Amino acid sequence: MLELLLQTGLNALYAAAYLSLVAVGLVLIFGVMGIINFAHGELFMLGAYVVVALYSGLQMPFVLVAAIGLVFVGCVGILMELSMFRQLRGNPLGGLVASIGFLMVLQALVAMGFGVRMEHVPPFTQDVIILSERVRLPVQRLIVIIVAVMLLVALWLFLKRTKFGWALRASAQDKEAAALQGISLRTTSLIAMFIGGALAGIAGSLTAPLISVTPTMGHSVIVAAFIVIIVGGIGSLEGAVLAAFIYAFVHTGVTTFLDGVIADIVGLALMLAVLVIRPTGFFGSADRA
Amino acid sequence: MISFPRLTKRQFVQSMIAGIAAGTAAGLPRTALAAGETIRIGFLAPLTGDVAAWGLPGLQGCEIWAEWINEAGGIVINGVGHNIEFVGYDNEYDPSKARAGASKLVIDDGVKFVMMLGGDTWPAVQPVADQTGMLFSTLLPSDLGPDTPTLIAPAEVHPIYNVTGVEWLAENYPELKTAVICAQDDALGLPSVATYLAAFEGAGIEMLEDPLLFDPSTTDFAPVATRMLSSDPDIICLDTCYSAYVHPLMEQLFQQGYEGQIISCTLDFYDQITAKTSVEFMEGVVFQFPDFDDPALEADNVNFRDPGKFFDEFNERYPGQWGAVSWEYAAIMDLWKWAAEKANSVEPADVLAAMTETGQGEHIFGTADWWGEDLFGINNSLVGNWPVVVVENGTARIKEFRSIPDWYARHGDLLKQYMTDYGLMWNQR
Repeated sequence: MLELLLQTGLNALYAAAYLSLVAVGLVLIFGVMGIINFAHGELFMLGAYVVVALYSGLQMPFVLVAAIGLVFVGCVGILMELSMFRQLRGNPLGGLVASIGFLMVLQALVAMGFGVRMEHVPPFTQDVIILSERVRLPVQRLIVIIVAVMLLVALWLFLKRTKFGWALRASAQDKEAAALQGISLRTTSLIAMFIGGALAGIAGSLTAPLISVTPTMGHSVIVAAFIVIIVGGIGSLEGAVLAAFIYAFVHTGVTTFLDGVIADIVGLALMLAVLVIRPTGFFGSADRA
Repeated sequence: MISFPRLTKRQFVQSMIAGIAAGTAAGLPRTALAAGETIRIGFLAPLTGDVAAWGLPGLQGCEIWAEWINEAGGIVINGVGHNIEFVGYDNEYDPSKARAGASKLVIDDGVKFVMMLGGDTWPAVQPVADQTGMLFSTLLPSDLGPDTPTLIAPAEVHPIYNVTGVEWLAENYPELKTAVICAQDDALGLPSVATYLAAFEGAGIEMLEDPLLFDPSTTDFAPVATRMLSSDPDIICLDTCYSAYVHPLMEQLFQQGYEGQIISCTLDFYDQITAKTSVEFMEGVVFQFPDFDDPALEADNVNFRDPGKFFDEFNERYPGQWGAVSWEYAAIMDLWKWAAEKANSVEPADVLAAMTETGQGEHIFGTADWWGEDLFGINNSLVGNWPVVVVENGTARIKEFRSIPDWYARHGDLLKQYMTDYGLMWNQR
C-alpha cells in the first residue's frame, strides 16, 4: 500500500506540474486583460505540435524544440493580443467569443497542416528512476516537474522583483490607477499574452511524448484548467498553483483507488463545493468573483 | 362548391401524423439504374477526432477497393457494369452529426448503402433507417436489435470476437491465472468489458479487480496503469480502448515496469508503440487485427482479393496509417457487391434479401452464419471465425483462426449474463 501511495504521489506531482503551467498562464491573461481565453488549450496543443514538427519530423534536439515551443506559442499569444484582444479591451464577452473563434481556427490550421490523426512522438529518453520495485519515476515526467517548478519560480521572481512584473501586477489590481501611473496597458497585455502562451506552449511541448497528440487535445486540458482557476480563485496565481496541486492529487488519487469516471465527478464536485462555500475561490477577491 | 369537413385541432394533428407515417413507410422510391450510372455508397464514420482511427483508414481502404472494382468493370447489374463511388461524411463520432449525415447521404446524395462505425452514433441514425428503409452496416453488432431490420454487421462482430484471443491465451499459456481490465466508459468500451469478463470467466481466469473505467477525456494514464499494476495480475487487458488511449497506456505499463501478458482488442500503429517501449516489451501481446501481408491470409478460406497487394497499396498511399479498420469496410463492400450482383439490383431490400437468404454468407475469414438472435434479438450479424494475432519480433502475426459460434455454444450464457449486468442486451436499451 505504501508503494501504491508513493507511486500515486509521483503521478499526481507530474499532473500538478503541467496543469500549473497551463492554469497560471490562463490566470495571468485574465488578471491583466480581464479576458477568459478559451483558446488556451489550443496554445497547449500548439506547443505539442511544435514537437511533432521539429522533434519527430526534423529530428531536432528535444531541449531546443521545447525552447522553440515556448517562444513560438508565446508569439502566438502576442498575435492573439494584437489581432483580437486589443480591439476588444473592456469587452470581456467579446474577448471570450473571439477566443472561441481563434480556438477553432487553430484546430483547423493544425488539422490542415498535420492531418487529423494521432501523431507519434518518440520518447526523448526511456530512462526511469527506480525507487523500488513498484515506485518508478520516468525521467521524462521528472523533467516536466523540474521545468514547471523552475518556470513558476522564475515567473514569481519576475512578478515580484522586476519593473515589468510590478507593472503587470498593478494592471491586474487596478487598470485605471496603473494607467494613471504611466503604465502602458498595451505593453502589459502583450507581456501577459506572451507569458501565458509561452507557459501553455512549454507544457504542451514537454508532455507531447507522454500523451496522444491530436488537434483536439486541448479540450480536456482547458476543462481541468478552468476547474483549477475557479477553485484557486480567478485572478490568483498562488491560488492556481495550489488548486492545481489539490486537483491533481484528488483526481489522481480517486482514479487510482476508485475509478477514472468517479475522479472526474469528484473534480467537478470539488469546484462546486468551493463555489458554494467560498465563491471567490481560495485566493480570489470579491471583485473578481 | 366543394365543402371540407371541419377538423378539430386534435384530429388535424392525428391526420398529419398518419399522413407522414404513411409516406415514410413506403421508404425511398425504387429507381432503376441508368446504363453506366455510377452507384454511390455512403461512408458515415468519424474521419476526425479521437475515434478517427476507426473511420478514416476505412474510407481510404474503400477508395482503393473502388478503384480495383471499377478497373475490373464495376458492379454488374443485369449485365451492365456500374462504377462505384464512395461519398464520405465525417460524423466526428457525434450522434447529431451522424443523423444529419445519414439524411444527407440517403436523401441528397442518393446512396444505395451506408457503412457506419456505429456505437454511440447509431441510435441517432436509426430513425433515418426506419423512415427510408436504407440498408446500413455497423462494425458493432451491439447496435443490433429486433427493431433494426435494415442494419447488418457483416464484417466485424465487435466485441464478440475478443473471446477468441482470451481462449487462445488460456490454452497456450495455462499458467496465466489472473487478470485486470481497463476501458473508456462508452458504447465501445462497455460491451467489450462485458465480453472480456465472460471470456476470462469461461477460460477460468480470475478477475482481480472490478473493471477500471475512465472518462474518454482522460489524457494522463499513469494512474490507470498504477492501479492495474497494484494487484499484480498475470494479464492486463486493454479492452477496446482507442488508439489515443492504448499508446499512452502501453507506454505507462512499460515505464512502470510491467513484464506480464497484455491483451487488447486493437493495437493500431503498434510499430509506434514499439518505438515508445521496446521489442521485448511488445513480444507476445495478443490482439485481434492482422496486418494484411500475413501469410495466413493467403489461405483459400479468406474472402478478400489479394490481401498482400491491398496492404502494400494502402501503405504506399497512406504510410503509417494501416489500422484495424483499413480493410473492414472494403470487406463489407465485397459482400455487398456479391449480393447486389446476385440480386441484379442495388435496392437496399433486394440486396439484404440476397445477402441473407441462405442463412450463410462469405465473411472475409470464411463462410459464416447470419447469427445473433439469441444475443441481439435478430440474425443480422455474420459470425464465423476470427483471427488471433500475436506480436512476434516486432511483427503482428496470425496464430490461429478460432470459431466464435463454437465459443458461444459453450459460454453463451456467461456472455448474456454480463451483457445483462451492464444493461447492454437489446431488450434493455
